[in-house]
Amino acid sequence: MSDLTMAVRPVVYNDAVVKKFVIASMFWGIVAFLVGVYIAAELAWPSLNLGLSFINFGRLRPVHTSAAIFAFGGSALIGTSFYVVQRTCRARLFGGEALANFVFWGYQFFIVMAALSYVIGFSQSREYAEPEWHLDLWLTVVWVSYLLIFMGTLLKRSEPHIYVANWFYLAFIITIAMLHIVNNLALPISMYSAKSYSLFSGVQDALVQWWYGHNAVGFFLTAGFLGMMYYFIPKAAGRPVYSYRLSIVHFWTLIFLYIWAGPHHLHWTALPDWTQTLGMAFSIMLWMPSWGGMINGIMTLSGAWHKLRDDPILRFLIVSLSFYGMSTFEGPVMSVREVNALSHYTDWTIGHVHSGALGWVAFITFGAMYYLVPVLWGRKGLYSVRLVAWHYWVATLGIVLYIVSMWVAGIMEGLMWRAYDKFGFLQYSFVESVVAIHPFFIIRMLGGVCFLAGGLIMVYNLIRTVTSETTEAPREALAIPAVSPTLGVAGA
Amino acid sequence: MENNLSNLIVGLMMAVFGLIGLFLVAGAADDEMYIFGLALTAFAVLFDFGLIKHHYDERDRIRAAAREHGHV
Repeated sequence: MSDLTMAVRPVVYNDAVVKKFVIASMFWGIVAFLVGVYIAAELAWPSLNLGLSFINFGRLRPVHTSAAIFAFGGSALIGTSFYVVQRTCRARLFGGEALANFVFWGYQFFIVMAALSYVIGFSQSREYAEPEWHLDLWLTVVWVSYLLIFMGTLLKRSEPHIYVANWFYLAFIITIAMLHIVNNLALPISMYSAKSYSLFSGVQDALVQWWYGHNAVGFFLTAGFLGMMYYFIPKAAGRPVYSYRLSIVHFWTLIFLYIWAGPHHLHWTALPDWTQTLGMAFSIMLWMPSWGGMINGIMTLSGAWHKLRDDPILRFLIVSLSFYGMSTFEGPVMSVREVNALSHYTDWTIGHVHSGALGWVAFITFGAMYYLVPVLWGRKGLYSVRLVAWHYWVATLGIVLYIVSMWVAGIMEGLMWRAYDKFGFLQYSFVESVVAIHPFFIIRMLGGVCFLAGGLIMVYNLIRTVTSETTEAPREALAIPAVSPTLGVAGA
Repeated sequence: MENNLSNLIVGLMMAVFGLIGLFLVAGAADDEMYIFGLALTAFAVLFDFGLIKHHYDERDRIRAAAREHGHV
């Protein structure tokens, strides 16, 4: 044994919980895409709800959004954060296996119970915060446990420095805790009833709701996934982060600016004008930190651009940043009051959300999963790189169909709703705008089908990666870490 | 040591959640709370059984390893 290996005491990582989150994320991803396709079809052909209350659009829609954001995205975020914090701190997860398992199973329990409550007709009617009070309390317990593990691991680190990915993950965990608690302050009608009423009322309630709603985008779907980006892009590219200074500057600006942007969801409402303007101004300022992150991620590939040609995993990661840049450009544009007058309540918003959710969140997750699965399961590589390329192209086609159809539908709706005839009457009835966008609803559904097909290709590829004999690592490579097969070691 | 303490704290916490679930079922005023209470209890029981199983599995693994190296 060399002096170096004697000097460094191997840290036994808890990778068992990371594996569970990876599996859960892939499972919920398919569920989210499938439900998304079904409700897209329901919008095009409403009779597909079959007259059953529990599968009508109003109940399945939160199942889709929660499955996509919290189940698919959340599982990926928690899993990767556990993976990254252990590696970058050279420390095993704080709190022992039981606490980590509680976070995993407790989070899955929350997801299942929330979905069940939606389909049987219980909802707070708060966007992205539909679960009723008892489920909110449960999630708080799980989330605080998650924070405890993450903070504890940071505190017991053997590395002097806290890597930037952890800054983003920590901001995501702390801010989501704060947003979740404040937005869900409610009075239940009884301890034994699921029904509750918000502590806020009127426009204050709307503002709290969108302070939460927009920061769910900012801190769950942005800060968390930027943490993922800052670890997996340098790893996949085999290059250091382009500018560490830029990563710190854009971290602090992003954190400071995002929290003020919520009021742009309430343009032209009873919310005071100055508050709307404030939200708009901060949204426009958000361009800078958002693009700072995008530039930092993309430029990490400096000097290794050729890798994009033959590494589809890296292509997923880098293209996700392009979508991130695009949606964080589009968002501030839509937050301008005059643009919002056209875009609000139309399908343009739906297209915007999906360019971020599918292009940024899902693509960066796919890239991270393709990187993680062979590493976690000790395989020498993926079962098929060609299937990754297929996934990439099918999913990209799906996104293009989705967002282009929603742009066209949204702008058409906006223009039809504001058109006046020569007598000063509205030129179109609402139903005429619905008829006009029907073809685009079908195109959107086809985009969803492509994205779902890509997801299924990925799941097949990952299952084969774990089970196929062709991906087995050579015996000598497996012999090095003399630990339990479910646990990784430092340097893995 | 950390694992044992963690097992104990989480195990006790789950036992409390299991009891809360039973109370919620007993007084449930609607279907949602009834289902949630039952599910919470079942979840807590299964989780605690999992902890107990894991504890004994770990003990067996350590004993087997010791036997293999001739310490027993």
